[in-house]
Amino acid sequence: MPDPRELDLDLAAVPESVDAAQEALAALWDQVPDLESGVQLRFELALVEILANIVEHAYEADTEPHVRRLAMRVTVSDEALVGELSDNGQPASLDLSDVSLPDDLAESGRGLAMASSALDRLDYSRDDGRNRWHLECRRRTT
Amino acid sequence: MIEIDVEKRTGGIGVVRPHGRLNMVAARQLREVLGEVVAGGVTRVVVDLGETSFLDSSGLGAIIAGLKTARQAGGDLRIARPTPAVVTVLELTNMDRVLRPRDTVDGAYDA
Repeated sequence: MPDPRELDLDLAAVPESVDAAQEALAALWDQVPDLESGVQLRFELALVEILANIVEHAYEADTEPHVRRLAMRVTVSDEALVGELSDNGQPASLDLSDVSLPDDLAESGRGLAMASSALDRLDYSRDDGRNRWHLECRRRTT
Repeated sequence: MIEIDVEKRTGGIGVVRPHGRLNMVAARQLREVLGEVVAGGVTRVVVDLGETSFLDSSGLGAIIAGLKTARQAGGDLRIARPTPAVVTVLELTNMDRVLRPRDTVDGAYDA
């Protein structure tokens, strides 16, 4: 078994952290030259959508929005790309089995539906006062 | 901050070309640029996505906002030269029906 490659980041819950996360992901993808581009695209898209969702919603009630942190871990194996995101913001009130696309000309509201269709697995849970997201995109090399 | 070029062409067409990742940070910039182009009197807009390495729902939202602004001003917005990352998003959201990407910037208003 080759060593799975991992990325661990601790980020401020601000929009600019999405840029930081994507820079780190680009460096991780460089370490996996045989990664299928379609899998990488779908996984990164879903991860960015969930990150954006956390930044926008989990901390919207905070009076000092820049002190909150979120944790991101990405693991690459021969079988799958797995992402774990967690934050201590407000609980997300959502039903992932019932996310749908908005009207054609809506300017927002597509993120979760897109993340859900891009991934093979997307789970959300709340425990120990933290929101936890699990993202998984299977590789189809075998 | 990503770089967004704006080029005014003959025929009253404005070409807006984002370079790099169109995520929630860059989407705000793109939304402003598209608003300024239309406010400046250029209502036929082409967003050239040939240098856009990544697009998310907020970037897509900025393009849709630009489309609506251009149409309200009597014009239109078309997208051209989508990269695989852009095509992925358009397909996942079924927006390829609405935004119908064109192969070239020059031919974006041919049909």
